[in-house]
Amino acid sequence: MNLAQLKPGEKGKITAIGAIGPLKRRLMDMGVLIGEEVKVVKIAPLGDPLEVTIKSYQLSLRKKEAQGIAVEVLR
Amino acid sequence: MSKEAQAQGVPAQTAAAEKPALHAVTKRPITIAVAGNPNAGKSTLINAIAGSRLHVGNWPGVTVERKEAQFEFSGQKIRLVDLPGTYSLSPYTQEEIIARDYLVYQKPDLVINVVDATNLERNLYLSVQLLELGIPMVMALNIYDEAEAKGFRIDVPGMEKLLGIKVIPTAATKNRGIKELLAAALGVAAAPAQHQPRQLSYGPDIDQAEATLRANLAAKYPEVSQRFPARWLSFKLMEGDEELQRELNLDPQALPREAALEHLRRAHGEDLEALMADARYALASGLTREVLRRPELRKTEITEKIDRIVLNRFLGIPIFLGAMWLMFKLTFDVATPFADWLDALIAGPFMRWTAAGLGLLGAPDWTLSLAVDGVLSGVGFVLVFVPVIFAMMFFITFLEGSGYMARAAFVMDRAMHAIGLHGKSFIPMLLSFGCNVPGIYATRTLENPRDKALTALLLPLMSCGARLPVYVLFAAVFFAAHAGTVIWSLYVLGIALAILMGVIFKKTLFRGEAPMFIMELPPYRLPSLRNLLIHTWEKGKHFLIKAGTYILAVSVLVWFLLNLPWGVEHKRDSYLGKTGAAIAPVFEPLGFGNWEAASSLITGIIAKEIVVGTMGEIYAPGALAAEESEGPAPTFGEDLIEIGGGFVDALQGAGLNIVSTFGVASLAAEDESAGTPLQSAVRGAFTPLSAYAFMAFVLLYMPCVVVAIAMRQEFGSWKWFGVAFAYQSVLAWTVALIIYQGGSLLGLGG
Repeated sequence: MNLAQLKPGEKGKITAIGAIGPLKRRLMDMGVLIGEEVKVVKIAPLGDPLEVTIKSYQLSLRKKEAQGIAVEVLR
Repeated sequence: MSKEAQAQGVPAQTAAAEKPALHAVTKRPITIAVAGNPNAGKSTLINAIAGSRLHVGNWPGVTVERKEAQFEFSGQKIRLVDLPGTYSLSPYTQEEIIARDYLVYQKPDLVINVVDATNLERNLYLSVQLLELGIPMVMALNIYDEAEAKGFRIDVPGMEKLLGIKVIPTAATKNRGIKELLAAALGVAAAPAQHQPRQLSYGPDIDQAEATLRANLAAKYPEVSQRFPARWLSFKLMEGDEELQRELNLDPQALPREAALEHLRRAHGEDLEALMADARYALASGLTREVLRRPELRKTEITEKIDRIVLNRFLGIPIFLGAMWLMFKLTFDVATPFADWLDALIAGPFMRWTAAGLGLLGAPDWTLSLAVDGVLSGVGFVLVFVPVIFAMMFFITFLEGSGYMARAAFVMDRAMHAIGLHGKSFIPMLLSFGCNVPGIYATRTLENPRDKALTALLLPLMSCGARLPVYVLFAAVFFAAHAGTVIWSLYVLGIALAILMGVIFKKTLFRGEAPMFIMELPPYRLPSLRNLLIHTWEKGKHFLIKAGTYILAVSVLVWFLLNLPWGVEHKRDSYLGKTGAAIAPVFEPLGFGNWEAASSLITGIIAKEIVVGTMGEIYAPGALAAEESEGPAPTFGEDLIEIGGGFVDALQGAGLNIVSTFGVASLAAEDESAGTPLQSAVRGAFTPLSAYAFMAFVLLYMPCVVVAIAMRQEFGSWKWFGVAFAYQSVLAWTVALIIYQGGSLLGLGG
């Protein structure tokens, strides 16, 4: 399961970050860390990018980037 | 200053502010760097501190804006340097490299770290990194009023103790806490030794590895470890910071073999950069947990409510397009009456006064012509851009400050990404239909240099208002019945070519770099009018001074081209005419290979509507002069009344334009130069087909001088203008060729 597969309203816990180099560092700098809880809030009207809540703020990222973030769904 | 000075809450007036004499005033100005996250209210805070004393420029060699101010606070000279807003100090983005290079190499006396009190954890992540640098620091706990309104309770003295620095609650939009902040900063700068920030513990493993690495570095590279903050240096080397390793000329093989790091890797995995990010966030979370009490029940925030509508699946795009339409209308409708007024002012009274003044002095005729046609018309060109630049900057600043800009990017990203652009590229593109110049300036909202360059390269293909007079002239003469459709087709042609070029550039010039789209959606906030005005003024002033100088120079140059050699009678014999004749063969296959068309294309480089003016002068000289000399010259008093009346009319016009929501009437070309002599001359010189090829060429050929200068200013070099010049020239020629030759083959040439 990756972040791009979550539906709006669903929450997940980050288990791995597939990205490397600058992308990975940027994600981590924005608080996208392993073990962190993330909630998908919305998908943009044209289907990409998505909006998530992480560390109690709103972040948007493209599906391509979200696909590299493995999550485990939280109920 | 005493600790007691900081009561909890935003102090209206504290002891610290009243007793500035406690610190020792030094003669030397102290340098304060201001660092913080984007959206933490950093620029509002800087405006509140420095206001109109801000000087805006660019960081050397890059397109990132640099703000600086010099002022005195309670007798002490202060130099304030605004660092780019960043989330971190990694070596990957331009902004982050600038910020950290400044902090490490320029060694400011002090850092003011602006922190968003409503978003403590992520903001503290940067603070933790700033503390590693060992530079004395004061924290501005900004947006404190909003945090209080949300029911957040922040233990400020507790924060001071944990971090070992002064923490001052501020509300920059309300001008609260500013004096206290500066007083605290001066206190720290006066006795830096007593205000060394605490060294936070990253956990025993990292701390120990760091200590070992630091000792080894000091032994092996003593000169290096003296140049840099010791702890920061070893952390960066642990992270494998390539930028720094290159800078230091360290043996790249030495570090991986470092025993201290080997131990860390065995215990925590290969990725030490991730380990450090984790450790810093753990610190930030821990600090936040210690000092922040949130209300148990979280109410739905206003931002969420707005976003439910603004980012709605069905409403999102219509709302966005509506907002853009409104901004476009407002920018050009507010600006146009003022631009017209300024234009009339220069063309009327100013030129008359100059003529009268020079006449009184007995100056020769050529000086009059130089002053009026060269200098004053050049000034006029600069000035008519001013209202539109100001209006555009105002709305762009509002969109950014309110938080909507990020939403606009969110809504449009998918579509723009398809041609290799970023969601935020849409706005510069849209503005370009009014005028490419504000479009270029609007690209500064794009952070990534690649996105910015690509957007700036494509936006000259959007047909601006200045090209309209050319279309109107030719369409009226050759396509009277279908003039509207023909003009519309040129707009569509521009957009289609922009898409095509976007795809081509994505696969050639901009291949490989795929910039990421990881963007905060900040909470909606109402920007203060004061802030909007300061920003708008900064940008407008910048344009006036920098662009003005160049445009004036080019305008004077063209005057000389038109009027030299000395005493030239016929325009054809002027340098311009000769140049036109020399390059005319290039346009032969396009259907307009005559010196008249070529010369007007040359002057059109200043601004594309001048193509029409030059054609007027060449094809129908005297027609304009006759028009000018009608009736007796107005008196000085009448001129003054006219100026005043014109301004009132402009105000009224702007007001009416805001109210009226129909059509783009103010953008419609005035067909003043489409008088009969010119029209019939054009009818004789072109065929419908060559006219269409000529219009397409005017649409596509090189950006005008003002755009060139705007590009130079925004990118700090002529490089991107060079690329635009090259590809647009080729594109214009090719497209006009296809139109003319293709049309001829199809039998449309008649």
